[in-house]
Amino acid sequence: MTRTLQTTSVGSFPKPPALVRARARFRRHEITAQELHLAEQQATLEVIKLQEELGIDILVHGEMERGDMVAYFAENWNGFAISLPVRSYGNRYYHKPVVQGPVSFKEKPGLTVPSWQAAQALTDKPLKGMLTGPYTICDWSFNDYYPDRRSLVLELAHLVHEEAMALAQSGATYIQIDEPAISTRPRELDLAIEAMGIVTRNLPAHTISHICYGDFEAIYPALLDLPVDQLDLEATNGHFHLLDVLGSVPWPKNKELALGVVDVHSHRLESLDEVKAGILRALEVVPPHLLFIDPDCGLKTRTWDEAVEKLRVMTRAVQAVRDELGLD
Amino acid sequence: MMRITTLGTYPKISKDQGPSVRTAIQRFERQNINAAALDQVYRDVTRRVLTIAAENRLDLTTDGLIRWNDMFDAVVRDIENVASAGLLRFLDNNFYYRHPLIRGRLSYQGGVLRWWLAEAQRLSSVPLKAVLPGPLTFLKLSEDDSYQDRGRLLADLVEVLRLEAQSLRDIGVAEIQWDEPALAYYPGWDVQEVKEVLGALIAGAETPQAVALYWGPNVHSWINPMSQIGFDRIYCDAVSDPEVVPYLQGNTVPSEVGLGLIDARQVSREPVSSTARVVERVLAVQGDHKVWLHPNGGLELLPPDRAEEKLRVLAEIRDAIHGRTEGGFTS
Repeated sequence: MTRTLQTTSVGSFPKPPALVRARARFRRHEITAQELHLAEQQATLEVIKLQEELGIDILVHGEMERGDMVAYFAENWNGFAISLPVRSYGNRYYHKPVVQGPVSFKEKPGLTVPSWQAAQALTDKPLKGMLTGPYTICDWSFNDYYPDRRSLVLELAHLVHEEAMALAQSGATYIQIDEPAISTRPRELDLAIEAMGIVTRNLPAHTISHICYGDFEAIYPALLDLPVDQLDLEATNGHFHLLDVLGSVPWPKNKELALGVVDVHSHRLESLDEVKAGILRALEVVPPHLLFIDPDCGLKTRTWDEAVEKLRVMTRAVQAVRDELGLD
Repeated sequence: MMRITTLGTYPKISKDQGPSVRTAIQRFERQNINAAALDQVYRDVTRRVLTIAAENRLDLTTDGLIRWNDMFDAVVRDIENVASAGLLRFLDNNFYYRHPLIRGRLSYQGGVLRWWLAEAQRLSSVPLKAVLPGPLTFLKLSEDDSYQDRGRLLADLVEVLRLEAQSLRDIGVAEIQWDEPALAYYPGWDVQEVKEVLGALIAGAETPQAVALYWGPNVHSWINPMSQIGFDRIYCDAVSDPEVVPYLQGNTVPSEVGLGLIDARQVSREPVSSTARVVERVLAVQGDHKVWLHPNGGLELLPPDRAEEKLRVLAEIRDAIHGRTEGGFTS
């Protein structure tokens, strides 16, 4: 029997100092691509070991080979140019892709397969295949080619679908398609849902979509129509007000919720009681067999030590709640 | 003569090897530079923004808001009992702001914005404007953990923002620009309440007062109310709201109006000739001396090379119109 309140990670992990140094040396042409790849593999091993040590149930590989969740695909697909950096908040920047031609694979789908295979080989626990959704790739790019957003989103949806199928055929049983931009324009929610329908159609895997930092009130409960098995939502950043929104309608019996219970954009470490309180509030809205627990978002903006401590308090709080409530 | 200006932010990084706030903050956090060196970079980047403004012969400019993290940052530092809290998406942009969290009765402490702008003023050869969040956008995008009374909170917000604006009187800014994107973005405002609030905000002001409406589809519907309130200038995002241009081509507005036709969220270059023709049709209705051309928002949502290109386009359109005007071709 599957245990309740399973824990997971959202996506990215901070790059360990050795990998940060290797990436800098690679940019200066001091090491080869192969040497950088070895550093990424070593970092991935550290990410897997950490999650196993903390007892996390469904793992991620940490995205050590990726700089940015959209630019990574844009850099490796046809049709995109990469801009100079654009600030997204605080002192965080990203290279915003520019769509300059028809989007397509450079060769064939499967860009994300080698990193997933290499990481899955390091653990017996399930490891998510990680993709960025078509709506978010469109929204976080400049469109200088397609006549409208819909054309670009749907074209991208077919590419992401092919990539997801490649992951599934390689053995990925959990595939996460991140759509943090989905709440950006409520009037386009139907387009995002249509695109996700293309991505997940006949996909033989458990599907997840991570969404964060948006106006959930504007898209809920319509968001429940997103054709994935699990919604993975950030809550701590907004003081768990999200749960008031989710509680406005009964939680559906066929949808899982993964809830963020630690803030990934704060240096402050949450207390055990704070995290427990968040989980207990969530259990008032979602039954335990449908509730998963994770951080608000990817951890790449934290230091390695901060990420470790945030995951540790999360797993301790989950166990404490399980013990208190007598859950399996 | 039609004039050109910017609305708000400018990239904090250079398109080449110039000074970069991003790199300086990283180096500061790694203990590689001290606070004085970081401050010097802020100054150098601000100087660069003002130099680009001068090179393109802007009539009025912002300082690029180089020291700001988001549109609330400086005033949150200047107001007691409000803190920068969790990250939220800024309207429909892939940009995130720390939403103001109101924890007690607001009072004005001041000093930060005044110091930042006084420094920019010393560096600028172009008349400088101050950009402040309008009270209605502040209210809409903040979290109230204290008042639980919208009316009282709004009244106090107006009071502290008035004090913030008044603190800038003697440093010589040429305009106070109140940013109210929430009016353009969100529907359902009580127009009478908006008029009363903004009217109280700018009552008796000695410095020219402007309002900037952007990132939403409801810009054109606010032009007439804003004019009635008494704003000297109304900057309108004419990209997000395609109704702005027809409105200004069909209705004379007592205030000066700004046409935000330069898309600050797309990299493509606006065609000079056809854009100039659109502007000229507005000039014919509003009058040459009453129209400004500008980007439809802050340029920081663009990479630095494209942001600079947008200012170049802005100047080229101005020059094209002036050239035609001087040659007697204004339609």
